[in-house]
Amino acid sequence: MTATNTSSKLTRQRYRGLVYGIGGLAILGLLAGFILNQHFVGTLIYLLGVWIAGGIAVLAPMWSEATLQDERDWELHNRASGILVGITMVFGLSILPALYVLDAGNYIEITGIASGVILTLSALFLLYGVCLGIAKRRI
Amino acid sequence: MKNDLTERREDEGLSQGELAEALGVTRQTINAIERNRYNPSLELAFKLADHFDCSIEEIFEPNQDE
Repeated sequence: MTATNTSSKLTRQRYRGLVYGIGGLAILGLLAGFILNQHFVGTLIYLLGVWIAGGIAVLAPMWSEATLQDERDWELHNRASGILVGITMVFGLSILPALYVLDAGNYIEITGIASGVILTLSALFLLYGVCLGIAKRRI
Repeated sequence: MKNDLTERREDEGLSQGELAEALGVTRQTINAIERNRYNPSLELAFKLADHFDCSIEEIFEPNQDE
């Protein structure tokens, strides 16, 4: 392999820059569309950017000769997922039942937004359980 | 898990990036192993042992409290 080939191939740094850069631009596009009252264009930019960034994130490690991801990245993802689920579980088990009891007793009121957050977290936790079941079948 | 990867790598005159490329992992992974912040998978441990032509036990040593 020549020096030219080595320098022109996709490096881990470039890969991360591309994924985060395009993803960041997509989010900026969405926000700009929201602020400028161009909701459709903003959404289009966001979807396009996210799909391109997601595509590069998934496909580049498969096609590139360079090592863009390795076992340590997967370990980091595993730990991050564990922390996220742990937080969700602690929050769900320790706080939510108390909130519902206080709501029933008219001490507090669970608003629509709070209810949405609770439902989202519940769905996330449920989805984790399904994914755990799928993963268990392979180990 | 303690290891003498840094010494072995430097003895061969390799940079972290060069060793990483030889093993098919990232430089950050080699750095994390050398700093005892990451325990490699069995597969990578075997690759390391194979690269340095020694056994896994010669590179890695469990901590006393593990």
